[in-house]
Amino acid sequence: MRLVRDLGRRKLRSSLTITGIMIGIMALVVFGSMANKIDALVKGGSEYYKDKVTVSAKGGYMGIGGVLSTRMTDQISQLDGVDVVFADVAMMLSDDQSGVSMGTPPMITGGVAGADKGRETFKLNYATGRALTPQDEGSNVVVLGSDLARQFKASVGDTVTLRSVQFKVVGVLEPTLTAPDNEAMVPMAAAQQLYIKTLPTLVADKLNVSEIATGLVVYPKPGVDPQKIADEINASIPGVTPMTGADFDKQIGAATSMLNSILIGIGLISLLVGGLSVINTMAMSVAERTREIGIKRAIGASRWRIRREIVIESAIIGLVGGLLGLGLGAVITYLGNEAGRSSATILFDLTAGTAISSVAFATILGATAGFIPAWHASRLDPVTALRYE
Amino acid sequence: MTILEGRNLRKTYRLSRRNTVEALKGVEISIDAGEMVAIMGPSGSGKSTLMHILGLLHAPDPNHGPAPELRLAGEDVASLSDNARTKVRARRMGFVFQDFNLVPTLTALENVLLASDYAGIKGRAARAAALEALGLVGLADRAGHKPSELSGGEQQRVAIARALVNRPEIILADEPTGNLDSDRSAEVLALLRQFNHEHGQTIVLVTHDSEVGAACDRVIRMRDGRIRDYGHRAASVMATEAVA
Repeated sequence: MRLVRDLGRRKLRSSLTITGIMIGIMALVVFGSMANKIDALVKGGSEYYKDKVTVSAKGGYMGIGGVLSTRMTDQISQLDGVDVVFADVAMMLSDDQSGVSMGTPPMITGGVAGADKGRETFKLNYATGRALTPQDEGSNVVVLGSDLARQFKASVGDTVTLRSVQFKVVGVLEPTLTAPDNEAMVPMAAAQQLYIKTLPTLVADKLNVSEIATGLVVYPKPGVDPQKIADEINASIPGVTPMTGADFDKQIGAATSMLNSILIGIGLISLLVGGLSVINTMAMSVAERTREIGIKRAIGASRWRIRREIVIESAIIGLVGGLLGLGLGAVITYLGNEAGRSSATILFDLTAGTAISSVAFATILGATAGFIPAWHASRLDPVTALRYE
Repeated sequence: MTILEGRNLRKTYRLSRRNTVEALKGVEISIDAGEMVAIMGPSGSGKSTLMHILGLLHAPDPNHGPAPELRLAGEDVASLSDNARTKVRARRMGFVFQDFNLVPTLTALENVLLASDYAGIKGRAARAAALEALGLVGLADRAGHKPSELSGGEQQRVAIARALVNRPEIILADEPTGNLDSDRSAEVLALLRQFNHEHGQTIVLVTHDSEVGAACDRVIRMRDGRIRDYGHRAASVMATEAVA
């Protein structure tokens, strides 16, 4: 209590210092939450791609790009070590994806339910409703990812319009923090119908709708290295680009870890400035209280007691700044996510780990910053300090 | 019985590289338990320095001439570490200063409790002792007031309560009446005198004021870093009684 009152007597200075810490922690919380979100996205992707080879048309990427044919599945299934192959269709939810998009853009994906023959290990959980079944082929039904469902404000039984076609919502997914949150999953035939309408008429006329695919998913037999399958596909099938989990990690992982370091770096720099201002505040407060420290030393306060008092006081500055920064950061991430909701752009994921570690970090920073002035104060000669005006 | 005893006490302060001040030039002193002694002398005579050494705020110079000796109740305290000296100050000594030196953010009670806390006494016992000490100086009803809400005389009485609270073996007072008018000064002096009489509290005080000196059992006179006159106990006691 006494220590809190000591802070209170230099209200302006203490509150400025606390504001400094607060801004630093806020930056750390906001950027940290952004990094969390990116991490979750990448981790989800890495998890999804690790046991399979994804084939796109040359120049395409991650199953998106030019048109393939479902007939390629026959070719690929002949290759050595291939267990299951199926085709799917993926396209942007709308052609107008203006603005910067964080993570994955909203997508429509189509595939025949169960085509993976049970090989897919990335489990989707349904918040409400059901999964697509093979019997859904031929009807316009959709399972919405959690972010899209919120964007459409749609729940099971509602009708949503995807690229001018009405679909009945049969299921809504629980959040995965990665790509499926922004996906509308429809039966294969429905996706093929939507996709062909996106192509120029000249191209579309030459295609057989029921053979359209934009990506192929290949599961190796157990124990077979996906890279070996990718090499085989490269060697035997022209015009396609296979991608393995290792490729994903290399390309996406490297880029995002760089981005994460930059984000965390910005947060840490702002905290460094906050930490220096704690040192400054406490050093001035020690100078101001020289006489008081002299009194305390004279009547029997040990050097350790004096140090402890100052370190605790600056740790409190750090703690209060940290809590305020966390609060402010939480508000910003919440508002940011709410604002992005309409475009299904969820930028931030404020985890308990990020919250706890940033407040703990602020407290430790405060205490550490207090240590230099505390040391100085504890070395004061009581008699000299008593005479200090 | 001798409570505090010093021999070969020297202290040289270095003000700058060339300028040193020999504040104490070898002092021998002995304070009896239950005595109230005044140390008097002109400015620069070394009386404050002597007080700081007796109060273990500074250590005597160890290496000028014969080794210094300082005994508190027979125990050698001349060459203790800073930590050990701090402990002795906290538990066995009480301090009163010229400008009261209370912590401005704390109430009277908290200021007194600070001394108990440093002496390792906490909780209910400490609170009871602090309230009792404030009662003894007549400020029981001002316990919740901050120094800024108290008069100079009251502040000094709080400081006396703080010095008394651990029932120290000796109280050292540096110009305790120096900042008070003559009425408040007399009050504070009477208070110290009362504790000395009623509880046998040993008190050493430094003063400029000959009236204060006259109220003590004995006056030690200093000049140029040496003690010139040790005073006579019996004589000054008689003098005090005559004044009273």
